[in-house]
Amino acid sequence: MHKHLLFAFSFASVLTAQSQDFGKAYSFEERKPRTRVEQVIDQRLPSIVKVHGASGLATISAYATGIIVSKQGHILTLDQVMIQKDRTRVVLYDGSVHQAQLLPEEPRFGVRLLKIDPALVNGELQPVWPPAEAEAKFRTGQFVVSLGNSFRLAEFSEKVSATFGVVVGRANTALRYRMADVKYDGDLILTDACNNPGQFGGGLFTLDGRWIGLNMKLLDSKETNTMVSAAIPTRDLLPYLEEHVLGKHTAEAVVNKPAPWTGIVLFERAGLQSPPAYVDRVITGSPADTLGLRPDDLVVRINDYSIRTCREFREVLGRFAAGETVQVTWKRGTKVQQASMVLASEPKK
Amino acid sequence: MMLACAAVLCGMQDPHLAAVLASESRRTATVERCSAAVCSVMSMDSPGGGSGVVFDPAGFVLTNFHVVGQPDKDYKRPEPPQPPEAVLAAWRTAHANAPAGAEEQFQKEWQEAWVEDHLPRGAAHYKNKKVGLPDGQLYEGEVLGIDPGSDLAVLRLLPKTPGQTWPAIQFGDSDQLLVGETVFAMGNPFLLATDFTPTVTFGIVSGTHRYQEGQGQRMLVYPDCIQVDAAVNPGNSGGPLFNEAGEIVGINGRISIGDRGRVNVGVGFAISSNQIKNFLGDLLAGRHAEHGTLDMSAWFMNSGAGAARRRGVFVQQLFRDSIVATAGVGLGDEILTFNGTEVRSANQLATLVGVMPAGTFVSLSFRPKLDNETWGDERLVHVELTKLDTGSSRDGVGAEARLASRNNRRLAAQAIVQRWSVLGAPGMASEWVVTDPSGVATRAICDGKRLRLEIGPLVLVRQSKDDGFAVENGAARELSVEERARLERELLCNPLLWPRGNWRDRFANAELLGGVNVYGAPAYRLALPGDGECEAWVRADGTPAGCTFRDPLRRAKVEWFVGEKSLRLVVDDKVEMGWSAAALRQGLVDEAWFRRP
Repeated sequence: MHKHLLFAFSFASVLTAQSQDFGKAYSFEERKPRTRVEQVIDQRLPSIVKVHGASGLATISAYATGIIVSKQGHILTLDQVMIQKDRTRVVLYDGSVHQAQLLPEEPRFGVRLLKIDPALVNGELQPVWPPAEAEAKFRTGQFVVSLGNSFRLAEFSEKVSATFGVVVGRANTALRYRMADVKYDGDLILTDACNNPGQFGGGLFTLDGRWIGLNMKLLDSKETNTMVSAAIPTRDLLPYLEEHVLGKHTAEAVVNKPAPWTGIVLFERAGLQSPPAYVDRVITGSPADTLGLRPDDLVVRINDYSIRTCREFREVLGRFAAGETVQVTWKRGTKVQQASMVLASEPKK
Repeated sequence: MMLACAAVLCGMQDPHLAAVLASESRRTATVERCSAAVCSVMSMDSPGGGSGVVFDPAGFVLTNFHVVGQPDKDYKRPEPPQPPEAVLAAWRTAHANAPAGAEEQFQKEWQEAWVEDHLPRGAAHYKNKKVGLPDGQLYEGEVLGIDPGSDLAVLRLLPKTPGQTWPAIQFGDSDQLLVGETVFAMGNPFLLATDFTPTVTFGIVSGTHRYQEGQGQRMLVYPDCIQVDAAVNPGNSGGPLFNEAGEIVGINGRISIGDRGRVNVGVGFAISSNQIKNFLGDLLAGRHAEHGTLDMSAWFMNSGAGAARRRGVFVQQLFRDSIVATAGVGLGDEILTFNGTEVRSANQLATLVGVMPAGTFVSLSFRPKLDNETWGDERLVHVELTKLDTGSSRDGVGAEARLASRNNRRLAAQAIVQRWSVLGAPGMASEWVVTDPSGVATRAICDGKRLRLEIGPLVLVRQSKDDGFAVENGAARELSVEERARLERELLCNPLLWPRGNWRDRFANAELLGGVNVYGAPAYRLALPGDGECEAWVRADGTPAGCTFRDPLRRAKVEWFVGEKSLRLVVDDKVEMGWSAAALRQGLVDEAWFRRP
């Protein structure tokens, strides 16, 4: 604008200068939540953590999600290969990174507690637990919000993903264990709120903010090549949490359960693919002997699990512990018989 | 029967049911309104296609760059026609005694003007698209601007009748989106709708400000995108994401897939509307929009040892001649803020930078790493973002750069002007005071036709096109040629000086040349006819953002970037620091301002 100014100032495209109003690329100040869905997410996100493990194997992702279940630093997550002693880190809502100590796993559900040092946390942890048992109830058709770090899209203080849907039903995996690769044999919450790798171990919440489930990996049907999102009901996890978070020892403690023994020796010969579960011998004095099983009987069912092969017989048996009572169904000739069997421990040789 | 049931239920006056029904009818009304603007975008000669949305009644459509496809290799620029006989006859009548060769010269100029009016500039040309709208009609769409950096392209629908308009939807503010908010995705997944009625999917915002690294052959990076759990499938590409109010908050472009093949798993990504706004000027003007980069990579990590050990974002890779290196940033330096926003992660820095066009001036504060593994005091630098190489073909530079035909540039300018609300009344005057680095103030007063510039002790007044005077050292004198030209140019293109009465008239012949980022916010570059490379810069809502012209007094091209309380002057592409804008006022005209003493 001024002729004389041409000479008044040095030109430079890059200069260290006083603070100037350069505008903001985008604002971080978010509006207040208005709807129930927004409120639940806003309320529960601080309880969700990102879990990073040792670099995973080829197809196993080295990240997951966890839920804070105590102010003392207990975090519940799915037990995966990635979780390794001294290598597991937890990233809190504020982006801070913490080393996690591994507590005993819960093999029946495939979940594990981690523990971080609450003294190193900024402020106070916001646990979703303990809820009263009644609070963990869910009904089909109920709206739910699922929180978790799907595909590891969020890093550090970035918010994990939220998806929305309904409880589409409950499924008893015992009836379907052959179709889906699931160890857990209880009821599962099925939902159409999308659940993807990385989101596993995250939480499923109702619109009034109640924690009703822990996201598990996708239920994968081998027969139909389809998948469905599922969660382990919170109420089934309560004994494990009570024991390891509150230190209560319940009668139903399931860790380190003794392996079951029936006394049945199956007829397995080399070269036979998937041999049916025919009884070859019965050990004298064993539970099977007590039941009256005989060689050439065909075991077809244990509880709700149908048995087609010797391998399935062992798999199903592995779901139970010595001392438990199971219903065994077998076929002798054309006749089907059923009776209760009290599983024993294998006698020492 | 159904109606009767509804009546019975309403008769019961269940307040919850009534609320649900009311919410549902609001939603269906929004969907119906939005549907009218959602289109299918298909190739003329190959199967497949994507979606798009009309965002301006003049027929401008947004879609994905990857829906537009590859440049047409066989494209040959059409030859201009001969001038019509009537035009030649009129010329001959007017130039009866023209020398030999003058008519050939006239014909050549007429053809050059025809080419400029009708044909786009630039090397790469994309074939027209077939665009199907829910009115059941198939239109031809001309590809204007492309933005490979955020996977966007703008098409213009060719009208079937002169002056045709289309139902259009406005952009919303994507920064207002909150995780959990209801959104709708619309488009034509799997090309299901043969009558072009869009498919609607419903979901929530799963995440905001997500950064997605480059994917696919063209390495399309998605900075600052919106993650949604609404179903987004192949064919949805380029379709709009609407908020509950029915505003465009994003363009759906990409999905994360698990191990289920190329279908929805509930993780879709949309390019945020606020990022789109940053590039809309270039897209409408038919340009190849360029994204900015700092030309360095920084990681979130631990650095240093002992007491000096800290966690933050540290520079890990840097070209020696990059803009940030020139500004003094070195390897191992800790990045603290970008444009005043605290940098919390590497993703966030990439997102902040990735949404800005190349050429934007940004600020960066950092702590330099010292030799003894500690960090020095915080420093602030200002740099101009360089172009990010998106791997797509360059469309020429300078006069050869990709640009829409003049007819389309004018059409785009009119579309922008139509959105302004006319503020103020005629008969008002504007007063603008700016201060240079040495503290000398320049006062400009303008009533729309007359202009008075007080540059320190020098006064320049333009009374009309031919009349004006200068006052220097208390004595009046005639204007010099340069002073007169300066007054004309500033009056023509500096929107800060105009009373807000007849803005639309001033832009009647304007052409849109592209976009410009002024203090972090986008503005349109509207070229005005006349000498001196005059451009007025105006924001989408019609507020002035600055101007540029060739200043005869300084003998240089000057660019005025006007912020709320800031002013940046760029002279021949060099920033002149230390300018400030003091006041911008509107008031009644005082005749004494323009009276010769």
